[in-house]
Amino acid sequence: MGWSIRTAYVTGQSSRCQLRRAVGIIIDSMNRRRRRLISCFVAVWLALFTYETLRASYLSPLVLRLRSARAPSDVEGLAGRPLPKLPLLFPPAGWIMFFHIDKAYGFAEVYGLRRGVEPALLDPHDIFATKAVGYDNIHRNVLVGVLDRSDAPAFCRYLKRKFPAYDEFAVVYAQYPDVVETPDRILRQIAYRCQ
Amino acid sequence: MGPGTVFSSWWHAAFLARRPSISLGLFRLAVAFTVGAHMIPSLFQMADNYLATAFKTKNLWFFPVPILRLVDASPDGVVWAFVWLFGLSLAAFTIGWYSQASGILMTLSCYYFYALNNYHIGTLSFDILLVTLFLMCVTNYPGDFLSVDSLRRGKSAPHKRLRPFFVQRLLQLQLACTFWCTALSKVTAGGNWLTDNPYYYLMRYPAIGVVRDFPLRAWLGQHPSLCYSLGLSLILFEFALPFLLFIPATRPCALVLGIAFQVMLWLTLHVPTIFLFLFPPLMLLFVAPERLVAWIERRQEANAARGRALLLYDGQCGFCLESVKRLRIVDLFGWLDPLDFHAQPDLARLHPALTPERCRSEMMLLEPTGRLSGGFDAFARLTRKLPLLMGLAPAVHLPGAAWIGRRVYRWVARNRLLLHRNPACASNQCGLAETGNGSP
Repeated sequence: MGWSIRTAYVTGQSSRCQLRRAVGIIIDSMNRRRRRLISCFVAVWLALFTYETLRASYLSPLVLRLRSARAPSDVEGLAGRPLPKLPLLFPPAGWIMFFHIDKAYGFAEVYGLRRGVEPALLDPHDIFATKAVGYDNIHRNVLVGVLDRSDAPAFCRYLKRKFPAYDEFAVVYAQYPDVVETPDRILRQIAYRCQ
Repeated sequence: MGPGTVFSSWWHAAFLARRPSISLGLFRLAVAFTVGAHMIPSLFQMADNYLATAFKTKNLWFFPVPILRLVDASPDGVVWAFVWLFGLSLAAFTIGWYSQASGILMTLSCYYFYALNNYHIGTLSFDILLVTLFLMCVTNYPGDFLSVDSLRRGKSAPHKRLRPFFVQRLLQLQLACTFWCTALSKVTAGGNWLTDNPYYYLMRYPAIGVVRDFPLRAWLGQHPSLCYSLGLSLILFEFALPFLLFIPATRPCALVLGIAFQVMLWLTLHVPTIFLFLFPPLMLLFVAPERLVAWIERRQEANAARGRALLLYDGQCGFCLESVKRLRIVDLFGWLDPLDFHAQPDLARLHPALTPERCRSEMMLLEPTGRLSGGFDAFARLTRKLPLLMGLAPAVHLPGAAWIGRRVYRWVARNRLLLHRNPACASNQCGLAETGNGSP
């Protein structure tokens, strides 16, 4: 390429034509390189995309089944491990919106307690006041995330800051066991208390 | 033709073919809006969501532990710095100013807040949004159209700029896969839509649940077999939609149905922002960009047939030439016909009020209706007429904006040599401006 340009420059014979051809070769080579790069990116992306789409629900169970069939005694060891997830990209469990909906509906309630006063059910919108655009996160059962006991100390600190008027709090797991047969029956169990 | 050649030509047509990038430019706005709608509300409650006083949870599935530790150790000052970074990069991405760089910064800030606390923003939808953001940052194609980048580049007809199609194709595949795999997971892998009656259960959920209180809900809650049929229909629709979108003959119908489906979901369920703001624009990415370009060209031809507005400018002024060049880019539908007043010997023939002195002192806009305006008022008219300037219309029509605008315009007109960086100026007589008569 460099030779073509130099020759065209030095000889001057039909230089414009040669120069155009040389520039054409350079552009063609750049385009080819770019196409190759894009093809590589697309191939890698499609491979990762397919893997992450199928991993949690299909590939991992399949691999676990195969491994446990091969080494039945090592299910808790290496054979029991699911396939690794690609960090920082793609949903952890694939594209699974509303895929399993049960008759039971569980949710969380938080009660504020004061000495000598009846426990007061706190409005979840007051606990988490962030208002999403176009929907209500509380209706998406965001509060159920506080039930995990490992989060209890952090959530208790948070409640004490937000509601200083109360002495204690009770975080309750509530459940409609069957929204069809017994739609008004709610079971409640204290998950933990903040003292 | 061997299978290798067939595959090669299919691959080329699917991903490598150079096609107009106009759709990605429009989609950039939808992405920016969705990111803003998803993130900004959480930033209004900093003490609850992100500062040291917040209740935070971590997404251990998504982030490696060292990253979570690093982010968790960030003091409140760093959190605030990321709020600013997010705000500025979102604004820059929206207007298409250094689109790729601003997109990367915006995405990084989203990742930061997600790692800091996934309690409010972390949903499956946010993961989907991050996948979309990643693809939008891979190239600078989203900044080709409807952007400050296109103005900076200064090339005419940015809507016709050709780019390899792979980004748009991968976004199309993402949407198709989201629908198809959602349907698949409902009937396999733990999904219970065939063996049970989930739609019926949804209708029976308590008031605090995910279903909105829409008019037919109570009635549907009394008809389990109808709910089961509706559930199956939804699954069939989700399975079919990707194919219907890829087949050109069924595409228009699929687009209407797909968007209606999203609206219906949003009206009946508390689904996150992305369902309403991102999925419908993702579907619109199936519209062939060539059709958009053809539609714009038809509008341009129609404007040419109706008669364009004349924009009279000083063709001996570099600043004016540069400004007109940018106005041509903004004038998507060819409503304007810029004209150097020096090339028009008889200005009074165009309009009795037009004189060379007036044209030299400010740009003049003569609309097909005969309406004449100059300087800032002409600019204000342009914000009403040129679609890509319409975002500025509310600002320039605010009370007092005209008073300020006219003075700013006069100042710019008088000092245009200070603002003007065109090296061609030395030879194009823009020194005329030094007389005080010239203007953009």
